[in-house]
Amino acid sequence: MSEQNDKAFEMRSRALFQDSVEGLDYAVRSRLTQARSAALEAAATRRPWALGWKRWTPAAGVTAAAILGVALWVGLPLHHQAGTLADAQSNFEDLDLLASSDEGSADALEMLQDDIDFYDFADNAANPGPAA
Amino acid sequence: MAPFDTLNAAWMVWDNPAPASGGAVLEYTRELEKFLAEIERRAFRMAQVALRDQDDALDVVQDAMLKLTRSYASRPSAEWRPLFYRILENGIRDLQRRRTVRKRVMTWLPGPKEDPDNEAQDPLDNVADAAPAIPEKLMQAQAMEQLEQSLRALPARQREAFMLRNFEGMDVAETASAMACSEGSVKTHYSRAVHALREQLGEVW
Repeated sequence: MSEQNDKAFEMRSRALFQDSVEGLDYAVRSRLTQARSAALEAAATRRPWALGWKRWTPAAGVTAAAILGVALWVGLPLHHQAGTLADAQSNFEDLDLLASSDEGSADALEMLQDDIDFYDFADNAANPGPAA
Repeated sequence: MAPFDTLNAAWMVWDNPAPASGGAVLEYTRELEKFLAEIERRAFRMAQVALRDQDDALDVVQDAMLKLTRSYASRPSAEWRPLFYRILENGIRDLQRRRTVRKRVMTWLPGPKEDPDNEAQDPLDNVADAAPAIPEKLMQAQAMEQLEQSLRALPARQREAFMLRNFEGMDVAETASAMACSEGSVKTHYSRAVHALREQLGEVW
C-alpha cells in the first residue's frame, strides 16, 4: 500500500515538474538558447587551438632538441674546446719541429736541453738566492 | 554505425585532420547541441528549485554547459548527462556556499539587514495576473510550489538524488555517477527523500 502511494507520489511530482518545465516563459528559454550557443561556440573556438598545438608539437620538439644540441656542442664548451685545440696544435708543432730538425732527432733533443739550461740560468740571475 | 562510434570517429577526425573532417565534426557538434537543448530546461528548473533565484540558476546552467563542452565533450555521449549534472550540482553548491559566507559577513557589517524570508522574493510576484488563471493550472502551480519548498528543506544529497532520479529520470547507476557516490547511497538518499517529502506534504498533496 505504502509502495503504491510512493509510486503515485513519484508520478505526480514528476508530472508537476514536467509541467513547470514546459511552462517556462520565452525570456528564460531565450537565455538558455543563448547560453547553449555560447557554450558550443566556446568549444568550437577552443578545439582549433588544441588542434594547432597538437599539430605543432612534433616540430617544436625537434626544433628545441636541435637548439639544445647546437648549444651543447658550440656554446657551452666553447672556451674549453678552443683551448684544448690550441694546446694540441702547439704541441704538434713543437713535435714537428723536433722531428723535422735537419740535425736529426738526437741533436734536436740536445738543443731542447740547452734551452732548458739557459732558462734555468736566466731565472737564477734574475732572482739571486742567499749566498752559500 | 552506432552514435558512439560516430562521435568517436568525429573526434578522431578532428584530432587528426583529414580532408573529409568537416562532416564528422559537424555531426559531433549537432549531437552536443541536441543533448544540451534536450537537457537545458530541466536543468534550469532543478537549479532554480535549489537556488530560488532565476538569474543564479541561469548562470550555473550556462557555466555547466561551458565546462562540459570545454572539458568533457570528447567523452562518449552516454557520459555527458551524469557529467553535466555533476558539474551543475557543484556549481549550485559553490553558489550556496558563497551565499552563506556573504550572509555571515553581512550580519557583521553595520547597515540595513536583509530579511531572510524575502531574500529571493520578486515584487512582481505580488502583481495580479491580467487574465484569470485556470483553476486547475493554479492548483498545479501551488502544488509544485509546495513541492519545491519541501525539496529545499531536504538535505542537499537527498534533494539531489530525488531530482536526478525523479525529475531527470536517471537510473540508479547514472545517478550514482552524477553524484559521485555508490549506487547503494543513491537508493538510501532517494528513499529517505521520498519519505521525507511525503511526510512534509501530507496525504492531501
